[in-house]
Amino acid sequence: MPRSDPVIRKAVPVLVAAALLVVAVCAPPSAVGTEGTVRVVSWGGAYEAAQQRAIFGPFETATGTEVEVLVHDGGLEALETRAGPEGWDAVDLTEDQAIAACRAGLLRRLDHDAILEPVPGVTLERDFMPGSFRRCSVAQNAFAAVIAYNDDAFPGVKPKRVEDFFDLGGFPGGRAVERSPDAILEWALMAEGVPASQVYDLLSTDRGLRLAFRKLDEIRDAIVWWEDVAEPSEMLRRGQASMAAGYNGRFFAAARDEGAPIVIVWDGRIVGYEVWAIPAASPQPAAAEAFVRFATAPQNMARLAENIPYGPTRRSAMDRIGLEPEKRFAMRDHLPNAPRHGARALVRDSDWYASTAALRQRRFKSWLERQ
Amino acid sequence: MWKTDWRDDPAEGGPLYRILVLTATALVVGFAASFAAILFVDCVIWLNQVLLVSPRTRVQFDATSLIVPFATVAAPTAGGLIAGFLLHRYSREKRPLGPPDAIRAVQFQTPLPDMRSGLLSTAASVVSLGFGASVGQYGPMVYLGAMVGGAVSRLRLRMRNLPAIAIACGVAAAISTAFNAPVAGLVFAHEVVLRHYSTQAFAPTTIAAATGYVVANVLFERSPLFLVRFAGVDHSHEFLLFGLLGILAAGLAIAFMSAVLASARLAAKLPGPAALRPAAAGAMLGVTALWLPEILGIGQEMLRFTTIPGAFELTELPVLLVAKIVLTALCIGFGFAGGVFSPALLIGALFGAMFWSAATATTGVETSGVAVYAICGMMAVTSAVIGAPLTTILIVFELTRNYDITIAAMVAIVMSNLIAHRLFGRSLYDVQLAGRGIDMELGRDRARLDADRVENHCEGDFPKAGPGESAQEARRRLAGTGWHVAFVVDAEDRFLGMLDLSPDAGDTSGKWSDASVTVGDCMEVPTLRFDETTTVWRAVGQMDDGTVPVVHSQTGVLIGVVTQATLMRTYSDIVQELRREENAPL
Repeated sequence: MPRSDPVIRKAVPVLVAAALLVVAVCAPPSAVGTEGTVRVVSWGGAYEAAQQRAIFGPFETATGTEVEVLVHDGGLEALETRAGPEGWDAVDLTEDQAIAACRAGLLRRLDHDAILEPVPGVTLERDFMPGSFRRCSVAQNAFAAVIAYNDDAFPGVKPKRVEDFFDLGGFPGGRAVERSPDAILEWALMAEGVPASQVYDLLSTDRGLRLAFRKLDEIRDAIVWWEDVAEPSEMLRRGQASMAAGYNGRFFAAARDEGAPIVIVWDGRIVGYEVWAIPAASPQPAAAEAFVRFATAPQNMARLAENIPYGPTRRSAMDRIGLEPEKRFAMRDHLPNAPRHGARALVRDSDWYASTAALRQRRFKSWLERQ
Repeated sequence: MWKTDWRDDPAEGGPLYRILVLTATALVVGFAASFAAILFVDCVIWLNQVLLVSPRTRVQFDATSLIVPFATVAAPTAGGLIAGFLLHRYSREKRPLGPPDAIRAVQFQTPLPDMRSGLLSTAASVVSLGFGASVGQYGPMVYLGAMVGGAVSRLRLRMRNLPAIAIACGVAAAISTAFNAPVAGLVFAHEVVLRHYSTQAFAPTTIAAATGYVVANVLFERSPLFLVRFAGVDHSHEFLLFGLLGILAAGLAIAFMSAVLASARLAAKLPGPAALRPAAAGAMLGVTALWLPEILGIGQEMLRFTTIPGAFELTELPVLLVAKIVLTALCIGFGFAGGVFSPALLIGALFGAMFWSAATATTGVETSGVAVYAICGMMAVTSAVIGAPLTTILIVFELTRNYDITIAAMVAIVMSNLIAHRLFGRSLYDVQLAGRGIDMELGRDRARLDADRVENHCEGDFPKAGPGESAQEARRRLAGTGWHVAFVVDAEDRFLGMLDLSPDAGDTSGKWSDASVTVGDCMEVPTLRFDETTTVWRAVGQMDDGTVPVVHSQTGVLIGVVTQATLMRTYSDIVQELRREENAPL
């Protein structure tokens, strides 16, 4: 990597400038909405800040269209109730949420070939990772649900594996967990020794769910629930929890920006995809499409990855990732798919997630209520 | 460089030629068989998903909708209909083909059943497994590999042992790919199919197994099937438990194999067309699965659960165990196309988990966790069923990639194998072959000698006499033939007796010189006679000297006569042939 860094350092601004020029020239005139504003909905916090630097700001500069950023919590409810009245144009969702929303008719169908920016010499299908194009969405980055710990909480032996999250004897302290069945059930089974490749097969059975909740019982009293994605790193910092389940980008940002002593356990990471989608209720779909085209252009994807370690879904973007803009270290090592993170990883099955959301939620609620 | 010795047959071409032919065969058959195996597995997985057999797709449907229960009953029933139709309407063999057919072809150097029956059998297995029948996938895959290898015998490559070796290559590659276990594939081909370890066979089989591994890992990136984390056996007394588990597993394996055979006998007695029997079994399976959905299909999920402590209630395990045995026996006996290997794995694993639960609950003995017991049980039952302890030990090693578990499983495997072999037979395959009159129990030479009948080695040209003919006349007529006896037959060629032709044989009363004495008066009726079912093995044991008539057991017609010299030559040829095969260099 060090060998290529200077090249990338020099190349990035040139490429970015070139790309901006291309976008500025090619963007269809209709992309600029009548209001001159496109409403983009994202997740707030460190992620949104990175998007602001990498995507929203440059988009405004390139097109003159203003980006108004709103925040949502990912549920279908918000899409149903807020998208219309608030005039959402483009929305950042996890892939499973987009699948469910698409089935519910809340999203527009996307014509990927017409919307996305191609790169010379390779087709869009080959440039994007397989499965990136869904009916109503396009995958834009890969994130990982990971376990992290407060380095100061464990001065001796450090947690290294998913099993350690469930080991209160070896690694005492609170456990920050999202109040949702996502990710934690997968980890519960992995901690029972189930290989990543079989986790979803087993979670599909009643017995598997029962075993996962049984594992969860072991840390029940230590769990500190969170609902906002920014909370887990905060809980680690303030000592409310010694270990936390959250997203790699947020933990990374807390360590980088605030110097928090947060270390990520990459073992058992669950890789999911973040997508762009356009709500069916979008008042200016053409402007939304122009925004999605810009946001998924390789150089812009790469720039996002330099600001927050979420891996791009395009090969052409992967090659362009350079250094973190302020502290100047190689970002590739912090992406979910960096080879040094170890072999045990699970790719979230978005279809399964979308179809089983209600069931898992129901079982999770009844587990929460059971005393 | 290549010295020739007694094992070389000049008709087979030089050693270099043979090396080239064998290597090419191993590579081509290896690639083809492993691609076929991958296609087979993928078709089954795809059907399982589409037909809501796999839990991962079932769970994605609303629990209140009727589509899941409908699919649960309809899929195995429809699968039974299709499999029965394919086998009984179009296949010449009218039955699923499996490892016993491959073993038979290799052991007796006969061709496999026709290609069309083979393809239909494979299609029927894909349907059976894909539609959720409780049968195994490895048996059909072994036959699929054998069939790919069997195609080589159509080429005229001037090598006597090549057809058998090519079949073994196909089997090794299929197992290597399917289990992602090349060493086990190689050993299975030798231990179960070839039953010898000649260099000539070993080298190409190894190449084919390695080819299968390359296809599975490099081209398709399949992961090992059953990774288990296990740190080691904590207490030495546990090895006694593994041994005991093995002994009990033998009993279970015998029960399972007997159930499979009994179910086939029961099915044969049922009224109605045989083509509909699989559908009946499928319907019963589907209805049971409404209550016990885990019983459907291969049961990968259940297999994994057995390695997690407390995944099953102690009372659940016997229910699942019995249901799996009964329904698998039903499915196989009633004509679904599929093997016994995967069900044996599951039955054994459930039993191992049950053994562990019972042992820890009642005696409080310290153990290293349920996983190692589940795997010991799984492999102990399987080893007894397929009759291949070495293969099973290697499969454990390659499936789990865990040395400690392999050592533990080894103990259970040999105990189980020992008992089951003694009480039931070497394997279900051998017992099934024995049911078709092929006894492999006492070794390859015995089996080969037993498969060859004396009627194939009769002298066609021998002296005959009629009973009414004058004895003196008959002896004069036949004096120049060089035979010591003539065979007396009636007008319909029915055997009556033997007439001694030697000039002064038994002539103590001067009867021989009397012209009025007929052949019928002075012939002897021998006590030893063979019939059309007499095998070379039996004949060699019974014959003392001279010549023995071979008489049809029903009609009494004299088929021919067999001389001791011919019989000894036949015996020697067969044994020599086996020696050549088993000691063949490259």
